[in-house]
This record gives sequence, C-alpha cells and structure tokens, in this order.
Amino acid sequence: MKAADLTVSTGSHWHSGARITDFSYNTLLALIPAIAMGLYRYGVCAAGVIGTAVASAMIAEAAMQKILGKPVRIADGSAAVSGLLLALLLPANTPAYMVVVASVIGITIGKLCFGGLGANPLSPALVGWAVLRITKPWAGYLDFDLALINYDLGFSMQYPLAVLKASGSSGLQDFNTWNLFLGNQTGGIGASAIVCVLGGGLYMIARGLVRWEIPLCFLLGVIIASCLFRLVDSAAYAGPLFHIVTGNVMIGAFFLSTDNSSAPINRWGMVAFGLCCGMITVVLRVWSVYPDGVVFACLLMSLFVPLLDKLKATPIVVRPTRAQITRKTVEGGASS
Amino acid sequence: MGLRAFCGDLPPRIPYWTGAVPVESLPLPQRATLLWREASPGDVGVAVGDSVQTGQNLAREGTGLFMSTVTGTVEEIDSLQGADAVEYAVVGIKTVEVDSYDSSINGIEDLANTAPEQILAMIIRAGFPGFDAVVQGATVETLIISALDQEPLTAVNAQVLLERANDVSDGIAMLSRATGAKKVVVAIPHNSAHAADDISVDQAEIVKVRATYPNGLPEILAKKQGAGLLLTTERNGTVGNTLVVSIEHLVGMVSCLREGRPFVNKIVTCCGKSGGELKNILVRIGTPVSMALDNLDVKLPPGGKLIINGPMHGYACFSDEQPMTATSDSVLVQKPAEVHRFESTACMNCGRCSAVCPVNLEVNLLGRFSEYGIFDKCAELGAENCIECGLCVYVCPARRPLLHLLAHARFVVKEETVEK
Repeated sequence: MKAADLTVSTGSHWHSGARITDFSYNTLLALIPAIAMGLYRYGVCAAGVIGTAVASAMIAEAAMQKILGKPVRIADGSAAVSGLLLALLLPANTPAYMVVVASVIGITIGKLCFGGLGANPLSPALVGWAVLRITKPWAGYLDFDLALINYDLGFSMQYPLAVLKASGSSGLQDFNTWNLFLGNQTGGIGASAIVCVLGGGLYMIARGLVRWEIPLCFLLGVIIASCLFRLVDSAAYAGPLFHIVTGNVMIGAFFLSTDNSSAPINRWGMVAFGLCCGMITVVLRVWSVYPDGVVFACLLMSLFVPLLDKLKATPIVVRPTRAQITRKTVEGGASS
Repeated sequence: MGLRAFCGDLPPRIPYWTGAVPVESLPLPQRATLLWREASPGDVGVAVGDSVQTGQNLAREGTGLFMSTVTGTVEEIDSLQGADAVEYAVVGIKTVEVDSYDSSINGIEDLANTAPEQILAMIIRAGFPGFDAVVQGATVETLIISALDQEPLTAVNAQVLLERANDVSDGIAMLSRATGAKKVVVAIPHNSAHAADDISVDQAEIVKVRATYPNGLPEILAKKQGAGLLLTTERNGTVGNTLVVSIEHLVGMVSCLREGRPFVNKIVTCCGKSGGELKNILVRIGTPVSMALDNLDVKLPPGGKLIINGPMHGYACFSDEQPMTATSDSVLVQKPAEVHRFESTACMNCGRCSAVCPVNLEVNLLGRFSEYGIFDKCAELGAENCIECGLCVYVCPARRPLLHLLAHARFVVKEETVEK
C-alpha cells in the first residue's frame, strides 16, 4: 500500500477541548469577587500584597525553570494562582519582603524542586504561608488583631478565632453568624470574604474544575468535629456554623485543599481527605497555639495523599489476568 | 447543550447515532485487497496469477480460514506490519464483474433439523469474524446480540435495526442453537426501544442500554450485560465465556444461510467532514477506502487524518488504499486543523482520566509508569484491562498521549506474562 500525506496517531481522534489553563484561569476568575471585597475593605495595601505575591511567584517560577533548563511555562497560570491564594490568606499590610519570601519559597521549594506542576506533594501557596507562620520574628505580622490595628471597617475588628481562643464560646456574643458569613470580619484579604469565596467555589464545581467531594467533605468534617467538641462542653467550644464562616475554612475547602497535585483523585480518597482536613482543622483550632488550623490541616493531609489514593475502585477485569492465563496453561498441559 | 458544555460533564456524554441513514450500494472495485490478521505470506495457499472464486478459502491447507470476497486473479501477495505489532498477510486481487461462488458454501434450508455444529461450521465458513475462540473449542455461555454501534458517527447497526428488525428473531434462534449459549441477551439503544417490539424471541432477554460511548464496545457489553469476559484467543488457549455479535453480522448470517452465499458485503458509515452528513454505503469487503471517499466527493486533505472505525478508538490509516474489512464500520476524514495534537506536558494529576475510565484504571499513574518504562507497576495496576476506548485522551487537559502509553504498557505486560 502506498503511503499518502496523512497524519497517523493513536486515538482518540477527538478531544474535549480541555486545557491546563482552564484550571488556573478559572480559579483566577472565581476569586475576583473575593479580591474585589479585599480591595474594597483594605484599599491599596491589599492591592500591593496581591500584586507582589502574584508577580514574585511568576518571576520565581520563570527564573527557576530557566535555571533548571526546563521549558518556561508561566503562561499556564499555575504560579499566578499560587501567588494569589497566598496573598488572599495574608493580612492587608503584610510587608512586601515577607510576601516575596513566602511566594518564592512556596514556588521553588514547594513546587519546582519536586518537578513542577503536577508533581508537587504540597500546595505551593500553603508552603509559603506556613513558612511565614512558623518564622518566629514575623509572627506578629500574621496576628490579624495586631496587623490590622489601624483599620476601622465599621464592624468588630477583633479576629473571631483569636477571641474564641482567648475566651471560649462565651466571648462570641458580639459576632453574628450571618454578618460573619457576609464577610464582616477581619482576616486574610480574600479569605475573610466568606460569601464571595463560596460563590467562586460553587462556580468552580459547576465548571467541573473542582470535584464536589473534597469541599463538601471538608465542611462536613468541620461540622462533625465541632459538634463532637460541642457535645463535650458547649460553653468552651464554638458551634459548627461559627467554624465554617470564620477564618480560612471556606477558602480552604474550595481552593486550598483542592489543589490538583496535592489532593487524591479517587472518590473515596477524596471523601476521606476532605473529612480529615475538616476535622483536623477544628482540632488545631481548639488545641494548637494558632487560632486557625486550615493550612496546617491541608498540608498534613496532603502528605497522606499517596496512601489515600489507595482507596480506589478495583479495576474491572475485562481481560484475562496473569493467574487466568497461567491456569489455562496448566489445564492445557494436563489435557494434552 | 450550552449548559452542559459550560458544566464539565464527567463522564462526557458522547451519544451514538440513532437516526436513519439510507444505504447506497457501491460498485465492485477493480482491485480488492484482502487482509489476514496474524498470518504471513507463506500461509497463503494461492500464488500470483491464480484465479480465485468468491468464498474460496485462500489459506494454505491447515492454517485456518482466509476467505476471498471477490472473484478474479491474484495480483500481489505481500505482508504488512500493523500498529499493534501484528503481522498481516495481504492479497491483492484484480476483480471480474460477475461472481462465481465457491461450492463449499451452501444454504441450509431446514435449520430446525440441522445439527448445531453444522450450522456453526457454515456460519464460520461464510466468513463471519469473531469466532476464533469458538473454533478453538471454547464454550459460549452468554450470547450478546448488540444493536448498538461501537462508535459515534457510525450508523451501521442503527440502520440495520431500523430496516431488518424482523430478521433478528430468526437470527437469534439460529445462532443461540448453533453456539449452544445458555443465555441470550439483546442489547438495544435506550432511545430506539420501539425496535424491541419487532424482536420477539422467547429465550432472549432484551436490555435497553444507554446509547452513549463506550456502552457499545464488546468488552463493556460482555461485562455489564453478560457479567462475563469476552471470548478471546490467547497464545495458550481461549479465555472468556461471552460472545458478542453485532446485529449487522446476525442478519448477515440469516441471509447467508438462506441463500448459501458468503459474507462479502459490508455497510460502512462515511463522514466526509466533522459535523457533515453521514452516509451509509454497502461495499464489497476488500474495497479500498479511496472508493468511499470518491463516492463522498471528498479529497484527502494533505496532513489530515483518515480514520477507520470511529473517532474515539478507531485507527488512523497511512494510506487511502487501506481496504474495508468485515469489521470496518465507519470512515471519517479530518482536516489538518481538526486533528488533535498531543503535547509533551507532564501530568498535572487532575484525575479526570481515572474518573472517566470505564474499567476503573488509575490512568494518571499508568501513564507515568508507562512513560518511564516501569512495567511491573503497570501490571500491578491492571494495565492489561485497558480496552483502549480513548476516553482518557478525550478528557486530558494536559493533552497527553495516554492511549498510546497505556496500549504500550498493555502490550509489554502481556508479552511478559506469556513469557513467564
């Protein structure tokens, strides 16, 4: 047969049109309401933090890929998303050098050292944030009550989780759950805009870019753990609704824990991952020295992802397995 | 559709064709090319210059069945390496207009009083594919008659179901007796359930199957409707217990046994361009695909793709002389701009491939292990169960050549298994 001028390849010859950039660009889109809320609340300071974080993450990624001799792929938008998520967790007046350190470490050590997008066991934004959090001299900058002391936004300027830590659930009378849900609380630039983050998260689920299992089970985990604490002592521990609408839980459930490469991909793995993240969050809020535990919970559970991915559906056998073929051979040998 | 395109459906809904596509007959080609899978030119029992009859067995004595579908003179005997590392024997025949039929294929008039073995032998002799395992002595426990096409943009079984539903009952009665199947299942697309009224067989169970890819693939039908393994031949014998026969082949068997003629004409659905109209043509097996393209009035675009057997798991030919075989269901032409290009991007672990896999494989891991040659791990993850449906490639946002990687892993795992 004479070869013609044709393209030859394996199937499938159709494609759904999905691209890697779908994930990052849609995440950026979904976070716009939260960014807008942050800018409205904290003004140009917030813009500075977001801009610094995104720019330094992208520059770090491009520079590192150049140094490592890999193709530069900052256009896939994943570095921008990492930088943005990091910025949304920080107080509005975080010094620029801290932001740069966090995003550069997040991108280089958290991501590119492991081989880049898809190979990182931990979410780069979370690695960056955790570095700031555990660096002792900088602890004051991440304490929202101290950091945002000069702002008066017309609602209680006390960080709800710090109040909970200091005086138990009896100190929470000033906080109205509905107001907290609308984002009338201090906290990270975007993370505190609970309703905006929830809207963005639902958009991501509707687009099929975030699977529903992790966010749902994350929130479920928070509810279960806080109800358990509540059963023990309802005066000392806050209720599930308070936990869901404060701090980083909402952004954690929809955006931080669902980072593609540091989350399981099989259904029951995702369910276990989400539940554990949520429960550990509440446990850390109650027993750790930090007011919020979302980031550490996500980081901790990300380490268990290879294990959680073992919770998978067994392959459907449509072809003879090794055992069956060997058995046939034995049978054939016996009959002949 | 707009909302569904906005919301990323997992699994993606790729519907089968269910409308009517009238069949047009194509003239006999001047030269027919016959392919014989897993055979070498040495297995062919005729020489260049010999005259052959329609239905004549061209195989050397004792090497099996390789039936000529045309009458004429042998022009060429050659071999061809298939993409799956399988050797094909190729025989080119210059055809003559009037068929003279081989005398060893006879009609059976009184089916009820003929021994099942005799009916089965005649079906196999008439050139129907898929009975290799039965020939080797495997028992058929479940017989599945599939009225679903295997691929989208294919309307072969859909059209046969519309036109010849009343022959189906005879066919089922005949084939279930011939194979001795304990259970007979007729799989019908859920949206053409009216066809079930025309099919009346006491011993068969009629199942409505959702008419979306990959529900019509034989492996999936055997697993879901028959709860068994598809009958296949391995080097050490046969495996499985379920025989899947397409409705086109079934009504073909009815006609062949009535008239005593070999199975030489095949319905093929052609689509000249993406989104274009479908056209069913009746061709002689061995007709080059270029004749189908001429009939469609389509010129092959340089750098484009010529796909046989559907856009999902079909194969892209390298030549327009590629002949139609007894299992060719469709021809599709893609322009260079429509050709899906793979990219050398790393897996980003989004997990869509595993979510769509109809046999629950961890495609994300298998793709990586295969890429780096770690085939022990591929075997552990069950790579041999890949049915090569192509859905993982379809959804992959990193555009990785997953089917290529998995098919390679499957091939290596199978080779290693046989060696052990």
